[in-house]
Amino acid sequence: MSQGGLILAMLGCVVLLIAAAGLFRLTDAISRQHAATKAGTLGLGMILAGAALYGGDWAWGGRALTILAILFVTLPVASHMLARAAAKQRFSREEIDRAPLYPRQ
Amino acid sequence: MITAMVLALVLAIALGMLRFLRGPTDVDRVIALDILFASAVGLCVAAAMASGRELFLDVAIGVALVGFVATVAWARMIDGRADSGRRQP
Repeated sequence: MSQGGLILAMLGCVVLLIAAAGLFRLTDAISRQHAATKAGTLGLGMILAGAALYGGDWAWGGRALTILAILFVTLPVASHMLARAAAKQRFSREEIDRAPLYPRQ
Repeated sequence: MITAMVLALVLAIALGMLRFLRGPTDVDRVIALDILFASAVGLCVAAAMASGRELFLDVAIGVALVGFVATVAWARMIDGRADSGRRQP
């Protein structure tokens, strides 16, 4: 059980490293944020699941689940606000209003 | 194994720090801050696994909450500045 937890946490760290590399591979603030938020959520989820498996009892599992719940509620809100600020900084109000919600068929 | 975890996280922190220093816009810096906070939570978990004490997971809860508040505060500040900058001319 604890070996599996270690391997899962290690994989999560690698995913987090890939997220950090995405900050350099991608060219644009919004696409960088896509890398950071999504891969960061997956990486932290894997690290915390690995920690829960490593500890093996509810003292670890409960805390890992609490952190996971906090992250899953707060990360989308924070990234939405950040993306809105980025879009407002980059495009004008008229450009945002004129952009189609769905692509034309 | 935990050493490799810490090494990967420190490399992620180094990349985030570089983007933080270089980032062309403020949004890039806040995104780098997001990665830094995520790596800090990962380091807290690594400390808990290395020492075998679940106390460090409580520290990770605090870091996660502070990261959320910091990101929202910076995003609101950038948002407000983009608004006022447009109204000025």
